[in-house]
Amino acid sequence: MLGAIFKGLRTTLGYLFRKPVTVEYPEVKRPVRERFRGRHQLKRFANGMERCIGCSLCAAACPSDAILVVPAANDPARPNSPGERYAATYEINMLRCIFCGYCEDACPTNAIVLEHQYEISFYDRTSSIFTKEMLLVAADRGHGEIPPVLAQLDRRPSPPAQIDL
Amino acid sequence: MPDVTLIIDGQTVTVPAGTNIVDAARATEVAIPVFCYHPKLKPVGMCRMCLVEVWTPQIDQATRQPVLNPDGTPKLVMMMGKLQPGCVTPVAAGMVVKTVTDKVQFAQRGQLEFLLSSHPLDCPVCDKGGECPLQNLTMQFGPSTSRYDYQDKVHFEKPIPLGDTIYLDRERCILCSRCVRFQDDIAGDPVLGFDSRGRSWEIISKSDPPFDSKFSGNTTDICPVGALTSSDFRFKARVWEVRPVPVVCTHCPVGCNITLDMRHDRLMRVMPRENDFVNEIWNCDKGRFGMRHVDDAARLTTPLIRRGEQLVPATWDEALRVAAQGLMRVRSTAGATALAGMISADASNEDFALFHHVMRDTLGTPHLDHRPGGPADVALETASARFGVASGTNLLNLGQGALVLLVGADPEEEAPLYVLRLRGIVARGGQLITANAYPTKLDGSATRVVRVAPGREAALLQAMVAVVLEGSAPMSARARGIDRLRTSLKGASVGSLAAAAGVDPAVVRALAEQFVGARHAIIMLGRTGLAQGSAASDAAGALAAVTGAFGRTGSGIIALAPGGNARGAQDLGIVPGEGGLAAAHYWPAIMRGEIKGLLVAGHDPAALGAASASALDALDFLVVQDAFLSDTARRADVVLPCAMLPERDGTFTNAERRVQRSRQARQAPDGQRAHWQILQGIAAALGNDPGYGISSDVTDAIAARVATYAGARYTSLGVTAGNWGRQANESVYYDGTSYANTEGVGIQLPTAAEGDGLPPVVASLTPLTDAIVPGIQAVLVPRAYDGRDWARGSKLAPRMVPPHVIIGAADAGALGIGIGEPVVLASACGSITLPAQIDRGLAAGTVLIVDVAGIPAADLCDGVVTSVTIARGEP
Repeated sequence: MLGAIFKGLRTTLGYLFRKPVTVEYPEVKRPVRERFRGRHQLKRFANGMERCIGCSLCAAACPSDAILVVPAANDPARPNSPGERYAATYEINMLRCIFCGYCEDACPTNAIVLEHQYEISFYDRTSSIFTKEMLLVAADRGHGEIPPVLAQLDRRPSPPAQIDL
Repeated sequence: MPDVTLIIDGQTVTVPAGTNIVDAARATEVAIPVFCYHPKLKPVGMCRMCLVEVWTPQIDQATRQPVLNPDGTPKLVMMMGKLQPGCVTPVAAGMVVKTVTDKVQFAQRGQLEFLLSSHPLDCPVCDKGGECPLQNLTMQFGPSTSRYDYQDKVHFEKPIPLGDTIYLDRERCILCSRCVRFQDDIAGDPVLGFDSRGRSWEIISKSDPPFDSKFSGNTTDICPVGALTSSDFRFKARVWEVRPVPVVCTHCPVGCNITLDMRHDRLMRVMPRENDFVNEIWNCDKGRFGMRHVDDAARLTTPLIRRGEQLVPATWDEALRVAAQGLMRVRSTAGATALAGMISADASNEDFALFHHVMRDTLGTPHLDHRPGGPADVALETASARFGVASGTNLLNLGQGALVLLVGADPEEEAPLYVLRLRGIVARGGQLITANAYPTKLDGSATRVVRVAPGREAALLQAMVAVVLEGSAPMSARARGIDRLRTSLKGASVGSLAAAAGVDPAVVRALAEQFVGARHAIIMLGRTGLAQGSAASDAAGALAAVTGAFGRTGSGIIALAPGGNARGAQDLGIVPGEGGLAAAHYWPAIMRGEIKGLLVAGHDPAALGAASASALDALDFLVVQDAFLSDTARRADVVLPCAMLPERDGTFTNAERRVQRSRQARQAPDGQRAHWQILQGIAAALGNDPGYGISSDVTDAIAARVATYAGARYTSLGVTAGNWGRQANESVYYDGTSYANTEGVGIQLPTAAEGDGLPPVVASLTPLTDAIVPGIQAVLVPRAYDGRDWARGSKLAPRMVPPHVIIGAADAGALGIGIGEPVVLASACGSITLPAQIDRGLAAGTVLIVDVAGIPAADLCDGVVTSVTIARGEP
């Protein structure tokens, strides 16, 4: 019986000298797989125009009806996106989203990409609606830069996000 | 025509001779893909999508007998040795058509690859995407890849506006000419055409203003690609996101079946819904683009009650109580006859029933009316209830042997869809006679045009009756009172009546002869005719009676009384009762102090002129039910906001007495209530609540109370029938054209001449033989684009008719009036100044005043035809 106790303690002692598997979240973030599907981003073309043309195919593909697109006609003098049409409203209800990535598949311009950001908790239900302002990458960014999580790990983003790289 | 039997893909089918192969195939549910062919249009064989193998029996040149195979069957040869376009190849006996052979599929693939070689493939941003025959056929018949270089496509500037309502995308156009043919053949406005050739071949508009047609929206429906899209629906939503709600249009007496395509609670677009009895698969622009007022920001949201000079918001309970108390106060102090009510003819039958309940049954006033109370008010007529087109009438089935006599009518402006229906009758070999005081657009399609002196349409009809009575032919025994009619016309000869109408007696005789000879004869009375007292409708009834053109399918009277449901209003008793006044006589009665309290639902009499406006000011108590704060509502003591067409359920009766159901598409945005609900609230506050829960309760009550409406319950109105030959896989070929009728075609109410009822009595006539008054007659003519409330927010806004007067070239020349110059018109009623338009077709002595918003017509006119003097105004 005493032998068994020492056997157990030796195992415990052995772990004391090994590298711990625990990640010190949130100081240290665990890397995600390359094809991980996290929070959506609306990408831009290299010239800064929105990739989204407001076609609503993502909303049509969405199995949980999480996406709302209200299209509008572009002002030819100051177009938001190439062509005649853009998304005046683009909202994703993150409570409904099941992160299946069908929207990404449906998108004819690779505008919507499920990126590697997974910290999307919120305190109230209204905050679950992610608006176009929140989803659209900044005008000077998002032409396919590597997301910070990946940059930290020196890895490349998922394939649809590499179009503009 | 004899029937022909042929075999299509192994199925034996028998169709009338002359049918083309595509239609014959549709009868067997075999679908041949098409782009340029449309069942409603003549085939042209432009797109080559319908190529099929056609095998015909070989004929021995020497014996003219079919060559037989050794087994005794006829030997077949391929027609012309190559594939044939199915849409332009008529069927023949013994023909064998094969639509799914390798050869045919090779041709279909090649044709689609060719059509797509210059197609921009911008389906994600195209409004047609989702209901696009090009998409559908490419998925079903096309190649999955193209051998053409994507970078090699021809690009044009896009989109280019073809008019105010239609955009053209030349990259997407496959040049099928459906739009051109629709405008030329069906609408009769040949404003589209082809320009240039080869790669630059394109559709252009030839008119000024561009695309000047009241039916332009239909071209976007029949366009098999996204080349023509409407500016009204541009990028509003994808077609699969919308929820189509079946509704009946109330803009005119046609009662077109439409769908309101709703996304959530917003109206996205209006589309026609097929009903062969009413609008086939078409819809006019007023109905299609004139529904944006339902989302107008100026709509009333809460009830308002007057506190001093101000109208302040109130709760529904309070407002209904104040309205009821005010009406009751007038009744108790001045009696029931001091109350009057008027409800718009656009309201539903349920609204009329409750209006009758409140005003007649509860308050007991005889002053009820559905007319606006202006100079162009039509006379009440009972002729179309007695001699109206019989149930089962479908103008789509009339053609050879049919005759339509249009009297004092301008369908283009009053009931646009009748233009398509009447042109269809002419195209099928029928006769169309227009008898008008002024030129109308339909004159161009008519087989005979008769010019009548202004206001003398009734005299023409009387002259025709006199011609028929002169004849020795025995009179129809199906009407009573013909002897009295004969006596009443004794003093007048055909010559004197024709002279009074301003028509050559020989023409009248020819007309009457044509009318008597027609197998189906229809008299269509327009606003100008109906507004001249009951003389025109009585004379029309007499003409129908003496010629026997009533009580049988395809014959009788159609009265185009203004409003979406004027027929229903008359049927449900919204007419002056015993001792009651017509709406036009309310205003002097108010000034005399005989009427002190008024309830106005949906009308805006204050806009008619100074007389009605000051009368409204003189009222003790005024309740207004309206969607907008109109000039009348500003004068009200209580304003009750009403729900509009998408927010209410109900039944409407059209000019052909077809009762149709309209459904509710959304909740009223701010809790506005339908007229019947408001009126029920007032009735409850008056202590006489009928206690209806939903609209169908009222419909059932009407069916129980009004004999002719006995069959008009929701269950019978929902029966579908008669569509244009849809087939199971129809949408692949004619997607986006119109919605199928799934909600019922309605029922046509029987006339008095049908069933077991006694034969109808014909009214005796007072001969109109007084000579034509010299001088200038002003005719108040209707305009579809009148700029009233329905035009709010509409893409048709630039097309609204501005206030003006139309003068004949001779009169204008004599007075030295140029286009656009001010003209002073004066009559016994007063005078107004309007800019002039000059019409070379208009006879001297007639001027036309357009009845549009911004013309205080009552300040000049005392009827639809008024004697005026005209003079050049100071510029």
